[in-house]
Amino acid sequence: MCVADSVVEARIDRALVARALLDGDRRAFEQLLRRHQGMVRAQLRRLLHGDHAMADDLAQEAFLLAWRKLDQFRGEARFSTWLYRITYSCFLQACRKKPWPSGHIDDDAVDQLPALPDAVDLQLDLERAMQRLSTAEQTVLLHCVQLGLSQEETAYVLVMPLGTVKTHATRGKAKLKTWLAPWRETADEERTS
Amino acid sequence: MSHQHDDPIDALLQKQFKGSVPDDGFSERLMQRLPPRRHRVAWPLWVGLLAGAGACWLSLLAMPLLHLGWSDLMGGELSASAITLLLAIAGVSLLTCWWTITEADDR
Repeated sequence: MCVADSVVEARIDRALVARALLDGDRRAFEQLLRRHQGMVRAQLRRLLHGDHAMADDLAQEAFLLAWRKLDQFRGEARFSTWLYRITYSCFLQACRKKPWPSGHIDDDAVDQLPALPDAVDLQLDLERAMQRLSTAEQTVLLHCVQLGLSQEETAYVLVMPLGTVKTHATRGKAKLKTWLAPWRETADEERTS
Repeated sequence: MSHQHDDPIDALLQKQFKGSVPDDGFSERLMQRLPPRRHRVAWPLWVGLLAGAGACWLSLLAMPLLHLGWSDLMGGELSASAITLLLAIAGVSLLTCWWTITEADDR
């Protein structure tokens, strides 16, 4: 999405929030819900390592909270960013109640995995490599790269200092680059032969 | 690390991300659970403020320091009681500012 589109989207969201606040217009909130539910549920599915049922429960909780707290949205951040922040906070609360498997797998397990040769296998290797990253690195990369937030927005969503976000992003990418280097070498060899 | 080096990793990560989840009735189910909006009523705040100000005024009414300070201030004399009164006003103002800023940050 280009910057102009993003500005227009943010403007539409602000107008819908204003309508929802004015007379408790449920239809305006429904539009906001329909516009953002997909990405919020995608965010939770990644955070919960594919637990779709739990992700949907938490997404419901997050939207109900957003409805209650709508008057606290002042338009300083984009509505989607504000929503991601609420969602992430719901996720953390759920983790406190019931500790979640981090999805982190140990280095030995990964080293024992056979090398696989095509694009689908590259995706599998990437998935495994992602799971080798620390939880903080995975979370930062999810928000910065996959959800398309800026580093400043990621810091706002994760309630983390900007410097820490930058460090996790750089370290995470450097690790992925190292672990996935054999794929790059193979691709280079194929290109030269 | 340069952006050029980051690009393949970014591209891979974006490709791996499955993107937005289809609605499949999620919004409809949630709208059925949506409670009516509760409008925040302002009167308890104003009643509290007025009661606090009234109680403050009543407790200070008997103190000569307040009268002295006020008459000195009005007469343009910077006596000890006038300075005490000014410091108290400045202190309350600073506390109010700090409270307002903290509230704004929490939102």
